[in-house]
This record gives sequence, structure tokens and C-alpha cells, in this order.
Amino acid sequence: MKKWNMSALACVVGLTALLTGCGSDKAATGGNAAAGSGQQSGTEQAQPVQIDFWYALGGKNGELIESMVKEFNDTHKDIVVKPAYQGDYYQNHAKVLAAISAGNQPDVTMVEVGSIGAFAEAKALEDLQPYAADTIDRYIPGLLGNSYWKDKLYAIPFNRSTPLLYLNRDMLKAAGLDPNGPKSWEELHEYAQKLTKSEGGKTSVYGFSTPIDIWFYEALVIESGGSILSEDGKQLAINSEAGKAPLEFWTNMIKEGVMKAPPGEKYNAWDVAKQDFVNQKVGMIFTSTGDLKGLSESAKFDVGAAFMPANKEYGAPTGGANLVILAKSPDAEKKAAWEFVKWMTDTPQSIKWSTQTGYMPVTKEAVESEEMKKYYETAPNFEVAVKQLEYAKARPMVPAYKEVQEIIMTELQRAVLNQATADEALQNAVDKSNKLLK
Amino acid sequence: MQKAVVANSANAPLLQQEVAVKAGRLTKVRPYLYVLPALLFFSAFFFIPILYIIYLSVFDWSLLNLEEMEWVGWQNYADLLSDADFHQVLLNTMLFTVATVVLGIGLSFLLALWLNQKRKLVAVVQASVFSPHIISLVSVSMLWMWLMDPQYGLLNALLEFIGLPAYTWLADTKSALLSLVLVSVWKVVGYNTIVFIAGLQSIPKDLYEAAALDRSTRWQTLRRITIPMLSPTLFFLLITNTISSFQVFDTISIMTQGGPVNSTNMLVYYIYEQGMDYYNGGLASAASVILLGLVGLLTVFHFWTMRKRVHYR
Amino acid sequence: MHQSTRVAARWIEAVLLVAVALVFVFPFLWMFLTAFKTMPEVYQFPPTWLPETWQFANFETAWSSGPFLRYVINSVLVAIGVLIIQLLTAVPAAYAFARYRFRGRNFLFGLALIALMIPPQVIFLPIYVELSHMGLINTLWSLVLPYGASAFGIFLLRQAFMQVPDEVIEAARLDSASEWKIMWRVMVPMAKPVLVTFGLFSFIYHWNDYFWPLIMTNSDEVRTLPVGITMLKAAEGGKQWNVIMAGNMMLVLPILAIFFFAQRHIMKAFVYQSK
Repeated sequence: MKKWNMSALACVVGLTALLTGCGSDKAATGGNAAAGSGQQSGTEQAQPVQIDFWYALGGKNGELIESMVKEFNDTHKDIVVKPAYQGDYYQNHAKVLAAISAGNQPDVTMVEVGSIGAFAEAKALEDLQPYAADTIDRYIPGLLGNSYWKDKLYAIPFNRSTPLLYLNRDMLKAAGLDPNGPKSWEELHEYAQKLTKSEGGKTSVYGFSTPIDIWFYEALVIESGGSILSEDGKQLAINSEAGKAPLEFWTNMIKEGVMKAPPGEKYNAWDVAKQDFVNQKVGMIFTSTGDLKGLSESAKFDVGAAFMPANKEYGAPTGGANLVILAKSPDAEKKAAWEFVKWMTDTPQSIKWSTQTGYMPVTKEAVESEEMKKYYETAPNFEVAVKQLEYAKARPMVPAYKEVQEIIMTELQRAVLNQATADEALQNAVDKSNKLLK
Repeated sequence: MQKAVVANSANAPLLQQEVAVKAGRLTKVRPYLYVLPALLFFSAFFFIPILYIIYLSVFDWSLLNLEEMEWVGWQNYADLLSDADFHQVLLNTMLFTVATVVLGIGLSFLLALWLNQKRKLVAVVQASVFSPHIISLVSVSMLWMWLMDPQYGLLNALLEFIGLPAYTWLADTKSALLSLVLVSVWKVVGYNTIVFIAGLQSIPKDLYEAAALDRSTRWQTLRRITIPMLSPTLFFLLITNTISSFQVFDTISIMTQGGPVNSTNMLVYYIYEQGMDYYNGGLASAASVILLGLVGLLTVFHFWTMRKRVHYR
Repeated sequence: MHQSTRVAARWIEAVLLVAVALVFVFPFLWMFLTAFKTMPEVYQFPPTWLPETWQFANFETAWSSGPFLRYVINSVLVAIGVLIIQLLTAVPAAYAFARYRFRGRNFLFGLALIALMIPPQVIFLPIYVELSHMGLINTLWSLVLPYGASAFGIFLLRQAFMQVPDEVIEAARLDSASEWKIMWRVMVPMAKPVLVTFGLFSFIYHWNDYFWPLIMTNSDEVRTLPVGITMLKAAEGGKQWNVIMAGNMMLVLPILAIFFFAQRHIMKAFVYQSK
């Protein structure tokens, strides 16, 4: 009986050790204040500073991030970066938010550009001005639109994108269309009609498809000469001609049977659109330039990328994510974190990142570099987003926009699924959002 | 669980003499000491959180700045109850629960009547029907999302094979909630069936023998003996199925994320979204309290019926 | 004539029985088949039944797309850790409820009853805040401690303890064994079948749990298998259902294997709650 008790005890003790083992390991990396202050008083032989870095890209892009972090760790002996994948942007944001309250937030994280305002307003982010005084000029100005909030610098561009029109060039050629794709909404409509194939009431190939996502809607509103928010950012401005045009454009094409609204919420719809494109079930889709590498490799046909077609004018929002440093991190970690951010967004890394994913390079030097220019010659698709930047605008970033964009998306879907007219849906979105924007 | 409660502890064999002999201080506190560890856990992770969530629900707060909570009184509740989206969430939760419970219990009752046999094949079928119940909802959700894929999924292939048009499943507001109900029913039917079979087997055989002597028809036997005798089981399943339907989260989070157009957004997912995604801790807490109230009511109702031990006729 | 219709009816019933079984088993078979297909084959419509060539590589892809060994270890640690703590709290409590009469017993027992009915999902927010004050978020403790006391376990064991004949305990007491010893050495061994039942129930529940680890963890060191598997969504060219299904097999197979060998126990474990 003694024996039994002893073994039970051993079991419990062992388990405790295992559980705490993991726990304390985390405490050491999770920005423990005591560890931080110990570091400051330490000498040069002090242990390397550990920082946590959260990212939100899966698949090949995620693997590339891991390998870049490894390279950083190999070249910076005084800093150890621990990368952690947290799912898509939504999941990552939720995790960061929850972790801040728990005090085990990362030191660096990706934040989708439209949510920077919300995080900054909540005082979650470190003001980067003191760190970046002499580096900020290296970044492309067009990509800094979502970096500032109330005149303070909070975020450094990393995986930055614009939406593009992806083309199945083989399909376009077979239909006798210009393989460079449509330039305007009318042409897009026309191309979609010509690419659509249906037999006996069943559509086997749709000409065009896009997730009913806020980002593409923003693009089409900009192209129609409008904006999502009023100038002061306190009102939703989409119950207007420019706000209605995109919705009618989509619903008309859907009713006509030449556009497919992919099923699924949030990124599930993106997955369907991309999978349809790769499987040649649709001829053209909207998606991020960040998908260029992945789609080009998966597709067994000639993939083309083109500007988002113009309505009144060309236009697109920038997108993707910036890197931020969390305000709650201890000073030593912040310093190390800045080193990491600076390195990740520096020219050599930016070139590597851009050419292996499709995201845009973020430094002026990178865009102008010989390496990039040579790459663009062999892979002109990769330059489209950079060229489109001329017409691009920053995403709205008032703090409430994080929730407002969901409201807009739900209402857009309502209209697309024929549950409300465009006017009703937009008015609904305005009514709900204005309460939050005040 | 009914029996445990009903049997009550009054007849628990107590060794009065022994207690008297050893009546020392330790003997008096011992029961409390033994209950204490469990009680501590219950307090820390159950009773205190319940009080805490009620407290949190009258503040405007977010996980980002817990230090700056702002007293708002009933405002969160007022906001929720006047919000059309929340009405939809409540409605979805109700529809989902009613459909899942009715279908889940109805189907399993029929299955139980059929599968209440002692044959090898039937035993295998029982185990098969039960198997989804022990599989993680994560896998079940992913599997069904794949089966219900409108373009490449097996279900639409089968529909097409027998000459029916493809169904929209999760892609349309009209069919998404129903699709989630289908998944939940598929998962719970086996459990309910086995519980019903256990209930059927505990009905005394002589009741049926008496019925046979009375020349009762099958239908009469079912109505006069089986159903009344099964009523405690039925009630147990009603309550537990309802409570577990109320807290559906995994399937929504993986399969639909509340969409399309909020048509599958339900209470726990709504609480998660408000609290973790939108920084609305106050609203999330108020919604939690409402959910807690609903579950609490059901629990009270459950105990009440157990105490009365009514056989419904 | 009569005889032959009866035989026919029996056959028809057998066919129907198999059909019902298939409704519940075939989806798992489909998961298995999908896990062995190539991407182009997955996106073929109408789908093929058997994989053209069996792709074991999908399992490799799934396994290497995250620290899956770590996830498995964490899942096991959590499920076993929960079970051990639950037993340590439930055995004495159940013993007290079953064998002692004391003031407030019914009240305390009633409290446990309430805990049985209300699922933790309902109160995850305050528990999150609480655990974060304790600094336990993103540790395995945050997955274990909230489940430290199991009302269900207390019930099962209390019932089992109540069925132990008085003479057994009296004999032990005459041997002047301490109450603590009697509890662990006499009562617990006699409740062995119930312990197995409860152990299976608890293990399966926590092995499968998704919600709690999703909320409480944010690093691979402490993530469990269900959360790890939801991260399998790959970005390029749509969902890789073959890899996703291969990943899910890791979650499903151990449970199905246990179920295969301990069917009766498991069905009893889950159904026990209704008694």
C-alpha cells in the first residue's frame, strides 16, 4: 500500500514537473519582467535576449518566414527570435488581444494594416519613432499609409500587397481574348461572359470569381471615385453612387451567371476562389499579389496578373500586414525586437521575401535594385502590384474599422445572396457602422 | 444521473457506532477535509467565475485594458436586447437547438426500438452508430465540411448520382443552419440511441408479459408501457441535449464562422467574437450571463422534474 | 411459405442494418480514402472511390507541417494530467459523500450537481481573466486546472462507494486502518470498473477538446492536437483536403483504436451519465 501511494506520488510529481517545465519555459520567453531587468544589469556575456514573434501566414509563405527567422538567429548571436504561427489575420489578432491581457503577449507581431488603428488606440503598440528616426526614409512612402496613427509611427511595412486581377491566360487566348486581360469594368464583364461555359443549364466554367471581401469592395469603391469613410472618419460613406456601383456590378454578373461568389466565410471563400482558379473552373479571380508565387506554382497553365480593372479610374487599397512591437514588452526585448523588425524589412530580406512570395518589396532600394529589375524581366507578374501602387490608397484604419469591416461584409453578402437590395444593404451597413464610428 | 439523486443519500450506510467510538476532532472535520480539494477547484473555476461574469457584465471593458473598466449598469444588456444581430443569434440558437434535439431524440428513439436486440450484427451496428460520438468535433467538422463541399464534395456527387440537383449546404443562408443541425444530429444520435436502449432494457419484463396477456397491440404496448417507463430517460436526454446544443462552438468556428450573413452565428460563438475579436468584453459578458441564465433555468427545471419523478402519460 | 417470408424479412432487416451502420461509418472511411489521394484527384468530380495511387506522402506532409509530436505529447499530458487531478479530488469527496453524514452535505452535493450541468464554455471569459491574473495563460496548467474537479467523477465514485458492503469497511477499521488508508486501499480497488469507465470518459473528452486549448494557448509548446490540426489549412491553391484528412487521422485513429478494444467499457462510460 505504501508502494501504491509512493508511485502515485511519483506520478503526480513527475507530471507536475512536466507541466511546469513547459510553463516556466514559456514564462522565460513570454516577456517576463524580472528576466528583462536582470538582462539590463547583466554584462555582455549575458544570455541572448529571447523575443517572441507571431505571424499569420500558413503554407509556403509561412515556411519562408520560419527560414528567415532562422537566418536572423544564425546571424544575431545576442538575440533569439521564437516564431509562432497563429492562424490567419483574424485569429492572430484575437490571440494578440487576449495575450496582452494575460501578460504573455509576443514582442513582435504581424498586424493586418486595417487593424493598426485599433491596436494603437488601445495603447497596445510601442511608438517606433525613437527607434526609426534614421531608417524610416528607406521605406516606400506609398506603403506607410497604415503605419501612423495620430501622428505617431507604430508599424513597419512587411508583407505588403495590393489586390490584383489574376488571369488564366491559356483560357483567355482560347476564347480569342487579349491575354493581358480586361482594363475596365465593362471589359471585365465582357471577358467574363466570353469565358463562361455552360451546358444544359449547368455552368462548368465561370468567367470571373471573387470572394465578397471588404478588401475587394474597397478597391472597387476607390475605382468608382469614392471612399469607404467620410473625410473625418466618423461616418460610413458607402450609401452613395460609388458605394453602390461595385455591389451592382457584382450582383449583375452573378445574376447573369458569369461570376461565381465563392461560398464560405472570410478566408474560406478565398480558398475556394483560388482552388477554382487552379482547377480551371474560373477564368479570372481577384486575390492578393501575395498569392502570386503559390498560384503560379500550383497552376498548370499560364498565370497572368493585371491591374484591378478601372471604373472611373484605376485604384486599389494596399493591404497585407505590418510588423509592430508591443508596448508591454520589457525594454531589452523591445530593443531586440526592433533589431529584428529592421532586419526583416531591410532591402536584402525584402527582395528575397518579395521574389519568393509575390508580396511587394517594401524599401525603395529594393524596388530599384538590379536584382529586382532582373527578376521582373523574367517574371513580369511580380511587378504589377508595384506599378499599381501609383493608384493605391491606404486602408481605412480608425479603431472601429476592425468591426465595421465585418458589418459591411455581412451586408454585402446579404445583397449578393439576394436577401436585400443594394440600397437596403448599404443603408443597413451605414446605420450600424455609424453607431460605432462616432 | 436521476437514480443517484433520487436514491438520495439518506440510506447511505453509516457506521454510527464506529463514528461514535472515534468521535474525535479529526472525525468531525474529516468529511470537510475530504470534500475540500474538489470544492476549491469548483470555487476557483466555477462559482467565482459565475459571480465574476455577472460583475463584468455591468462594465464597459475589453481584454486590452482591464484596468480601465467603466461602470455602465444595464447598458450592455439594453444594447444586446435592442440589437437585431443579437436577436438573430438568439433565434439561430433556438432554431438549432430545437431542430437538433427533436431530430436527435426522435431518430434515436426509433433506432433504439429497432436496435434493442441481442444479435451480433446488431451489436456491431450499435457500435457503428455510436462511434461518431467519441470523435473530436474538430475532425467531424472538417470531415463534413469536405463532404458538403458544394463543388467537389461527396454528398453532392451522391445527389447527382441519384439524379437530384446539387444542394447548397453551407453556402446559402437557407441551408447552412440546417447543415449544421445535420452534423450535430449525426454526432449525437448514437449516444442517444445507446442511452435509450439502456432505458429499454431496464423496463421490467413482467410489464410486457402482462401486456401480452391483455392482448395489447404493439402500438398500445408502446404507448402504455414503453414510453411512460422511458420518460426519465427521455427527460434526461432532452435536458442534456438542449444544454449541449446551446454551447455549440466547434462546428461553427471551423465550418461557417457564423456565416453566411450571420445565419449560423450562435451564442457561444457570438460571445467569442465579441470578447476576443471586437474588444467588447462588456457585451460578451452580458451575453454570457444570458446564456448562463438559459442553462440555469434548464438545470433548475431538470432537478425539479427529477425530484417529482413523474412518469408522464 | 410462411417460413420463406420470415427469412426474406430477416435478410431485408440485415441489409437495412448495414445501411444504417454505413451512414455513420462511411464518412470516416471517406476521410481515410481522401487522405491517400493526390490533390488533382481530390479535386475531381465526380470523385473516385479508391485512390489511383495510395499517397502515403500526405501523412508526411501533415506531420511535418507543424511540431506534431509536441502536439501529441501535450494532448496526452493534458488528458492524463486532468484525469489524475480529477481522481485526487474526486475520490476523497466521493468517499465523504458516500460514507459520512455531516452538516451541509446535501448542500455541498447540490453544488457539485450544478457544476455537472453547466458547461465551462459559458464562463470562459472570467476563467480566462482569472488564469491570466495567475500568469497561467499559455501553460498546460491552463488546460488542466479548470477541469481539476469532475462532478461526474464524484457522482460515479460516490455510487460505487455506496455499494461497498459495510462489513468490508468494518473489518478494515477493526484492523485499525486509518480512514485515508481504507479509502485508497479498500474502496478504490473495489471501484475499479468504475474507475476504468470514468478514466476512458475523461481521457476521450480531453483528447478531443478544441475550445479550451484554442482560447488558452498561443504557442506550439503548449498546443494540443485538435488545435494543431486546424492549423493545417494551407494557403496555396485552396484547401488541401488530402493533407487535412491525413492530419485528422492522427486525431481520430487512436480513439477509434481504443474504441475497438474497449467498446463495451466506453459505451458504458458515456451512457452512465444517464443512470
